[in-house]
Amino acid sequence: MIKDVCNEPGILAFCCRHCAYVAADLAGSMRLRYPASLRVVEIPCSGKFEVIQALYAFERGVDGVMVAG
Amino acid sequence: MIVGEQKPLEEIKGFLDGSQKVLVVGCGTCVTVCFAGGEKEAQILAASLRMSTALTGAPKEVTDVTVQRQCEWEYLDLIKNEVQEADIIVSIACGIGVQAMAKHFPDKWVVPGLNTTFLGLPEEQGIWTEQCQACGNCILALTGGICPIARCSKQLLNGPCGGSEKGLCEVKRIKREHGLPVMQTDARGRKTPVIEDVDCAWHLIHERLKALGKLDMLTQIQPPKDWSTARDGGPRRIVREDLMLLDEG
Repeated sequence: MIKDVCNEPGILAFCCRHCAYVAADLAGSMRLRYPASLRVVEIPCSGKFEVIQALYAFERGVDGVMVAG
Repeated sequence: MIVGEQKPLEEIKGFLDGSQKVLVVGCGTCVTVCFAGGEKEAQILAASLRMSTALTGAPKEVTDVTVQRQCEWEYLDLIKNEVQEADIIVSIACGIGVQAMAKHFPDKWVVPGLNTTFLGLPEEQGIWTEQCQACGNCILALTGGICPIARCSKQLLNGPCGGSEKGLCEVKRIKREHGLPVMQTDARGRKTPVIEDVDCAWHLIHERLKALGKLDMLTQIQPPKDWSTARDGGPRRIVREDLMLLDEG
């Protein structure tokens, strides 16, 4: 899916609502650029992340998963 | 609780030869609490098998379902449709669950995805230890709540043997991860298993009885144990007529 729009490795970033997601939001406000192949998923807390979510992502062709929180 | 450990993925994959539709069945009771065969583990195993078989060029259709308890017929009835769809069932319950599945679905091939390891307790986060051997004749009242049947290497009944030293047993344990021995390379470059110390159960019993002021209990000599209530008496069975349903027909 990500590879439809660019040829970079597709990365799915699971970001905690209270810190990493806010940081990503701030990065956007500051007009900082990050690769188009990165997709940010807001989660309530990085502790909510489950291994199966990474596996589902890999099954669907994502190249890497990042958990930030 | 019953403690289990998932089999290596390659071993589970080996069971699947000749089958296309695979159903991984988790159990929501003991093996969920020991993080070996619950809903999460069933989902992870199914995803791992899907990806792993796809990488070998022969992808299999792997789905998963989890029941509250695999060792009760009522819960197994709830998944009969999923079971009928599958060619092979990978049960990640304990050995009781695997056998219950095989008995309840006699036309289905059921294989285990777990090694049922022991009856134990989670001593601390991530560590389980064997506590009971289900010998059928509990002697914990004599030993201060520490079982020498499960925890003494020789299952002694009257104190430690000469192999007890500084609270440790002379028998050592091979450290295992996922059921396989953890290996190390020694100074000569040889691969040897990593060895762990084992507590002397009778040392623990002595210390506990001493702390509770009951050391005199150890002066009572215990006669040889009657093992007919344990596995030595053959497969065991309990019949409770007060609980049986009456046949009114």
